Amino acid sequence: MKRHVWLSVGLSFLAMGAAAQQQKVGDPPEASNMKLIGWSDLQARSAYQPTIHKQGERWIAYIGHHGGTDDVPTPLNPMTGQAEPNGTSIVDVTDPAAPKYLRHIPGAPGKYEDGGAQMVRVCDGSVLPKGDKSAVYMLRSFGGQAHEIWDVADPSKPVLITRLDGLRDTHKSWWECDTGVAFLVGGAKDWRAKRMTQLYDLSDPAKPVKIRDFGLVGQEPGATGAVPTDLHGPISTGPQGNRVYFGYGTNKGGFVQIIDREKLLKGAPEPTPENLRSPEIGRLVMSAWNGAHTTFPMLQMPIAEFANDKEGKTRDIVMIVDEAILNECNEPRQMVWFADVSIENRPMMISSWTVPEASGNFCQRGGRFGAHSSNESMAPVFYKKMAFIAWFNAGVRALDVRDPYHPREVGYFIPGITDKTDKRCVKVDGKDRCKTAIQTNNVETDERGYVYIVDRANTGMHILELGGEARQVAGLK
Amino acid sequence: MLSRRTILQSSLAGGIVVGLVGLAAFANFYPKPDRDEELTGWRRIAWPFPRDAFPAGRAWKRDDTEVFVRPKLGFCGNCETGVVEDSEVDRVTDIDLFDAQFTPMREGRRVQITDLAGRARIYHIKRDGRRRLAQGIAVSHKCDLVVAVVVGNVTDDAVAKAAHRFLETNTVQVWINALLEGR
Repeated sequence: MKRHVWLSVGLSFLAMGAAAQQQKVGDPPEASNMKLIGWSDLQARSAYQPTIHKQGERWIAYIGHHGGTDDVPTPLNPMTGQAEPNGTSIVDVTDPAAPKYLRHIPGAPGKYEDGGAQMVRVCDGSVLPKGDKSAVYMLRSFGGQAHEIWDVADPSKPVLITRLDGLRDTHKSWWECDTGVAFLVGGAKDWRAKRMTQLYDLSDPAKPVKIRDFGLVGQEPGATGAVPTDLHGPISTGPQGNRVYFGYGTNKGGFVQIIDREKLLKGAPEPTPENLRSPEIGRLVMSAWNGAHTTFPMLQMPIAEFANDKEGKTRDIVMIVDEAILNECNEPRQMVWFADVSIENRPMMISSWTVPEASGNFCQRGGRFGAHSSNESMAPVFYKKMAFIAWFNAGVRALDVRDPYHPREVGYFIPGITDKTDKRCVKVDGKDRCKTAIQTNNVETDERGYVYIVDRANTGMHILELGGEARQVAGLK
Repeated sequence: MLSRRTILQSSLAGGIVVGLVGLAAFANFYPKPDRDEELTGWRRIAWPFPRDAFPAGRAWKRDDTEVFVRPKLGFCGNCETGVVEDSEVDRVTDIDLFDAQFTPMREGRRVQITDLAGRARIYHIKRDGRRRLAQGIAVSHKCDLVVAVVVGNVTDDAVAKAAHRFLETNTVQVWINALLEGR
């Protein structure tokens, strides 16, 4: 009897422990060395890519949105009084403590990844070689079917300039502002991949010029046999670096492809196996259990430990971020990997990092737990010093990456949920069992040192600043 | 120094343990046929492929036809439309595990297995040095896929239909549904 009482007490404590970790509306955020400065609800739209751009004396955040949900397919825009398919939010964050929502540009009708306008990049017309000098151009996806370019010089009154139609499954693009070369991710007609690269010259956004289609051998039209993993997104180092790092896969069968940019742009465009193979310099094959959502290059990093070595004092590093896709840990852990690509045809994984699951009982909290994406700004304030990783229900994690052989966490922030935060469900005995948890989806930084995180489960955008050790690592005053 | 008796006893015990483990493994790979298997003549065979991104599936054989099935949770390219293109069938079915150089014989067609809809396509493959035909099948439930490969004379409608009917039996469906509902 006595034993049963103690067992019951023990089990009750265990249950309370798990329950205590579940988020409730009104709970404060959980944080270390990161502090909330400002917040925008983003009209309770599921958010993907944020891009923060300086326009004159103003700082403007452009946030891409996934499509609506089953419960709310077209959320209300209180500024127009209309229900609008999720698209792009434009927010003035000049004063990060008081972000001002300027405009919502509706996206494609459709739910989740079938609608919305999840991706966004911004270039000044004064930087693009043939742009209108007074314009600021925003490139965004439009559902799965198109990419669009808008003039957002007046961010409250965006004007559509161009639409590139007839695509499918558009995703995470890259746009070089100094050359205008755009790597648009989607599917081209007859290709066997639903996501590959279509290269465009967008130096004059009003007159897009197709350069070529690019993908892996086996994905091209007419190929037979096994079809390689779909692309997730590329990051280019531009003409100076002459490299493009392509990340393939989501949570499975990933790899990083290192491409000679010049050969890619100037090579024969016909999608033959030989032409597709030609620009590849190296390839890092990952485990079948992990994919590559973001492949963020950090080249020529001085490694303190190697300072006295005759060779190899600096290393070319690519940070690879997997994407978790299943709720409540129903998949192998998706995390962050660091690859040394100094010897480009022999890239090697050198380290990895994950949020310790037990630190927050994250597998029980609900929704996804695992990495999704990193900041992609290469502004000096954080570049090669700190990386910020969106980790779904574990919020954003700030890593000291100065020694990429031994990355370590120096801060984190897990926002509180609101009454708008969407639930996430798993099947238990054939029935939905739903929980509500933060789902930090994407993160970006600005040149002032603010960190912007956005939520996939409709909790909006949180603007953060660093404190304590994280601030020291970044060298912020 | 161990006595001869101890060594003998230890060897005997070890032999019994190894035998039991072997028997258990055999029973696991070749479980007793269930009611549907008895009725249809399909017999369970071992999943022949090394570990990859997805949990191992299950496989059955009848005469010269083999069926290989497994769910791929969260792997559907489009949760709303499901599998509607041949290139998707090329990509997601396990046909490449049989022969990475597979070639499609013709365009695929729509297929339905119980209440799950998708697409099926016939391929030429080389298996164990022999040229064979195989049908890749991919059906979806929201963002989850169930894929199957039928190796045999699948251009014969009767053979393909028999395999599809087997995929609809409790033998396959109870297992698949438990996995789909357990996530």
